[in-house]
Amino acid sequence: MSILLGPQPEVAAAVEISRPPAKRRKRRIWAWLLALWIVSGAYMVPADQQAVVTRFGAVVNPRVPPGIHYALPRPIDSVYKLKVHQLQRTVIGGEIPDAILGRTQPASSEFLSGDQNLLNVRVVAQYSVREPQDFLFRTADVERVVKTAVESELARRVARTPVDDILTTEKVAIQNDVLQSAQRALDSYQTGVTISSINIEDVTPPAEAADAFRGVAGARADAIRLVNEAEGYANDLIPRARGEAAQLAEQAQAYKEGKTNRAAGDAARFNAIAAEYAKAPKVTATRAYVEAMEQILPKTKKIIVDLNGNLDVTIVRRDHNAATNPNGDIQK
Amino acid sequence: MTTKKKYILAAGAFVLLLTYLSLYSVRETEFALVTQFGRPVRTVANAGLHVKWPFQSILWFDRRLRIYNPRPSEFLTRDKKNLVIENYVAWRIDDPNRFVQSVGDTSAAEMRLHDIIWSGLSAALGTQDQESLVSATPDKAQAAPRLDALTATADRAALAQYGIRIVDVRIKRLNLPEQNKQSVFARMRAERERIALQYRAEGEQQALTIHASADRQKEEIISSAYKDAEKVRGKGDAEATRIYGQAYSKNPEFYKLLRTLDSYKKVLDDKTTIILSSDSELLKVLTRGEAGAK
Repeated sequence: MSILLGPQPEVAAAVEISRPPAKRRKRRIWAWLLALWIVSGAYMVPADQQAVVTRFGAVVNPRVPPGIHYALPRPIDSVYKLKVHQLQRTVIGGEIPDAILGRTQPASSEFLSGDQNLLNVRVVAQYSVREPQDFLFRTADVERVVKTAVESELARRVARTPVDDILTTEKVAIQNDVLQSAQRALDSYQTGVTISSINIEDVTPPAEAADAFRGVAGARADAIRLVNEAEGYANDLIPRARGEAAQLAEQAQAYKEGKTNRAAGDAARFNAIAAEYAKAPKVTATRAYVEAMEQILPKTKKIIVDLNGNLDVTIVRRDHNAATNPNGDIQK
Repeated sequence: MTTKKKYILAAGAFVLLLTYLSLYSVRETEFALVTQFGRPVRTVANAGLHVKWPFQSILWFDRRLRIYNPRPSEFLTRDKKNLVIENYVAWRIDDPNRFVQSVGDTSAAEMRLHDIIWSGLSAALGTQDQESLVSATPDKAQAAPRLDALTATADRAALAQYGIRIVDVRIKRLNLPEQNKQSVFARMRAERERIALQYRAEGEQQALTIHASADRQKEEIISSAYKDAEKVRGKGDAEATRIYGQAYSKNPEFYKLLRTLDSYKKVLDDKTTIILSSDSELLKVLTRGEAGAK
């Protein structure tokens, strides 16, 4: 303030004479305070952060990289630092503690599938800051907007998908679709965030129907077991049949060989005998006949009759009865 | 201190005060509405340092996007089905002057939004079937364009009446009415049971098919082997017949004799009674002596 006073020799002289050291000290304090105020504009942005600088509320530097920088001191400039690379999590269909403990909250996690089944779905979305300026100034509650957009897209996507697909094959497709469409919505709201992942952490049927869903899993396992058993049967049966077929083939071959060999043997024998027979047909025939009779007749009962006399057939019967009577002796 | 110096100090302080009262800075997140004795005179949308008369005062409005999320409510679709729909509205203040005159604050704004959106939504949903919202065939789900139209009309109305910009209206959650849920659960259970039965039946069908096909293959293998075996046997028999025929046809009478004698050996056993004539070839010698041999 002393600067404002201007030239006033008498007074100044009087003051200087009365308290010269005090006045100088006062000036020095003011100068120091001014210097401190100016220096207070220096700030540091850590490696994982970026900063936005505003002057009287208006953005003057939308993206300050990490390092030491200077902005005009308060209240002229303000510096907003943001952890741009840090992923932020938000849970849809429950709270973060639910996700950790594995609980489901029916009221907040119930989604309607395309074929009108109710499912409890819990999704974790991760996002990070892409445009610090938009992130800071365009949206009142960024996390809520992200959560709402993701939930909306999830509900829409799930309502177009049958329950079996949601539970099994479509999970990844749902995640990708929700990520893309929710990102589009967030871009149109200028939230300045990028969703980096949408992850379906948990999809479960409601408790009221859980046992029926488990029953389906059991039935599927049963069906697989039946098929496996049948395949086991087939795998056992067919090699056996092949074995049997091979056996039949071998037996047939053996039969053929046996039959032809025997025939050849018989033929050779016959030819040999026939050769001898040709030399002495009469004697050979008689010998063959008599030898055969020698073999046959000892086994049989014989009745010799004279052709000139009459044959009384009753003797044959008597003899026959005696032979077949189990108590009687066999007579020869 | 002299009187003159006091005056100068007072004047300086007054100038400072006037400066303080005339300058204001607007942040990126805000609108400033400059009012003069309560009457709005202008809206300042640009962030930065601005000047006003010291006697003018300022009302601040948050211009950021916010989400209004009304309670879920039941809507009736064209095909007379009830759906519980939770929607959300993304909105922000666009005209602070109109906003302060017609609405005032955020919670009042949300009530107005609720009225506009609810009627629009029930009209929009009343013109389409449940299938367009909930369907297992994705092509039929087309609620999004309808809500875009709703957003546009609601935006026009809200902007004209309340100075509010409606950025987006969307369905956030679809559900079934609480009183329907038990029957839905029962239906889900029945569906699951049907699917379980189907799985079992399909498994059984497949197993039976595999079983039968195995049996058929076995039969094919065995019968074809039998066929081949019989062919081989036949060849054997034919070959044997040929050999026999070839050998025996050289001397048929002798073969006849030998073969007949062989068959006697088999046919005549110990149960056979032979009545021999004393005149037979064998016994001729017995009955007639040496003359019988001739």
